[in-house]
Amino acid sequence: MLVLGIETSCDETAVGIVEDRFTVRSNVVASQVDLHAPFGGVVPEVAARAHLELLQPTIERSLVEAGCRLEDVEAIAVTAGPGLAGALLVGVAGAKGLALGRDLPLLGVNHLRAHVEAAQLEFGELEPPVVALVVSGGHTSLVVLEEPTVDGARPGFRQLGSTIDDAAGEAFDKIARFLGLGYPGGPEIDRLARSGDPTAHDFPRPLAGDGTYNFSLSGLKTAVIRELRRLEAAGREVDLADVAASFQEAIVDVQVDKAVRAATDLGIDTVVMAGGVAANSRLRARMADAMERTGGRLLVPHVQLCTDNGAMVAAAGANLLAAGQVAELSLSADPNMPLADLPPDPAGPTS
Amino acid sequence: MLLLAVETSTPTSSVALLDRDGAVATASLGLPRRHGEFLAPAVVFCLQQAGRTVEDLTGVAVGTGPGLYTGLRVGMAFAQALAQARRLPVVGLPGLDVMGFSARHTAPTVHAAIDARRGQVFWATYQRVPGGVQRDGDLQVGSVDDLVAEIAAGDRPALIQSGLEGDGALDQVAVHLAARVDRPPLAVDLGLLAMPRFVREETVRPGELDAIYLRRADAKIGWQSRGRLQGGTS
Ligand SMILES: [Zn+2]
Repeated sequence: MLVLGIETSCDETAVGIVEDRFTVRSNVVASQVDLHAPFGGVVPEVAARAHLELLQPTIERSLVEAGCRLEDVEAIAVTAGPGLAGALLVGVAGAKGLALGRDLPLLGVNHLRAHVEAAQLEFGELEPPVVALVVSGGHTSLVVLEEPTVDGARPGFRQLGSTIDDAAGEAFDKIARFLGLGYPGGPEIDRLARSGDPTAHDFPRPLAGDGTYNFSLSGLKTAVIRELRRLEAAGREVDLADVAASFQEAIVDVQVDKAVRAATDLGIDTVVMAGGVAANSRLRARMADAMERTGGRLLVPHVQLCTDNGAMVAAAGANLLAAGQVAELSLSADPNMPLADLPPDPAGPTS
Repeated sequence: MLLLAVETSTPTSSVALLDRDGAVATASLGLPRRHGEFLAPAVVFCLQQAGRTVEDLTGVAVGTGPGLYTGLRVGMAFAQALAQARRLPVVGLPGLDVMGFSARHTAPTVHAAIDARRGQVFWATYQRVPGGVQRDGDLQVGSVDDLVAEIAAGDRPALIQSGLEGDGALDQVAVHLAARVDRPPLAVDLGLLAMPRFVREETVRPGELDAIYLRRADAKIGWQSRGRLQGGTS
């Protein structure tokens, strides 16, 4: 059973094909990074134009790499939200064309949930409950995948917390731009930070001990910029590697602390980490250390399954199909699609 | 022959099925920003009414703009994918050409204009020729004043427009017009204009189509809208 998944929610045009829910047959990403690099961030109109140009060839390449034809595909999955409206609409319209043309079921996928369910492509069936940290240029969210209360239903998805301002990847981009580094900022800062001292600057850890699972990054960003200006004004030489390492450490500290604490608070021993920022070497190492100390299990898929990709959408779509949750051909893209299908836990610390 | 035509480059979205004798079934919706929800069910409806299935289609015609960017892309992505799924030949045509063609009986010269927002219009000029119209020069984007000057300089042309109704400058030059028609580019007209091209096999593969924007992309970074990726929390 082959499911084709289309992802166009932000700045990657991606198409993946997944067999029997767990096996990646192909996972093709046509990155738009070069188009957005001159602007230092994602430009929605540029992204939407590129999605339209890239969607057809990306579908073709994904089929070729999977060694199959559209006639062999049995369902079409697509990211329906959250994301950039104009970008999402291209993928959803394309998915409908394929579904209608081949008379196939259409599956409307939640992008955040797809990030988490991508883990099944590497580690097999996720056994809920599972805590998941999704960190990327677009999201910084802590969620829990809960056991279904009804037999045969999909696991429920509950939001524990989320950033109240910038996403982690966005903070990396902005600080990288300020330091004169390239775009995207995450990998640039990761690289530079390796030769820096993470304790050189004492940057704030916003919301670190506030008892919630929320994140805040704009204050940290401001603190970094203020510190640089202060040093410059004092005529001190600034070691950018130290700044990068200290800034990265502040972000990583809070992410690791909140994710591990959520698992401990809820008595859950498995944590999934996904999203583009999950490629950050410091975050991976620190998270692995912390989980080892608690005796828990950390699942971090390979980078190709962590960043935005089509296989994760196909996997999430295959799960929807298995649960009988097929979309109508009138499916809307929903830029503000809620992350969770369960309400926040009334007893939880975020209430 | 059974052609599917899809046109979504203005607030009106429309689809049509045509055979050699003309329109078989059409559907249109005049609600902006609903192109995405409307298209696929509308095609299903038209096929059902015509007693045909998607397997009977022999070609897909689609409007390639200029017009509303998002609507345009929804129509093109849908039409391209459908053609890809059925391995069908494609013809892409500008909405302005479709409008010029649909007003061919109104005057020897026709200006077609679509509201381009930000005080601008997309427009082009057409001359009647046997069996249709021929465009003078390129598709243009410019101010309403440019269009008004062109109308005033011409020999009682017709104006076919979409979305320009209330424009004062245009009202003042109405005396120069032979006719003023308010009609967006429609799928049925697109299908009629595209049909001879399918007969002559002047078609492309779906991936070869390009959208016509006539303007560079707005280079505004979406920091704000990127917050939406959080999942509705910001
Ligand atoms: Zn993502």
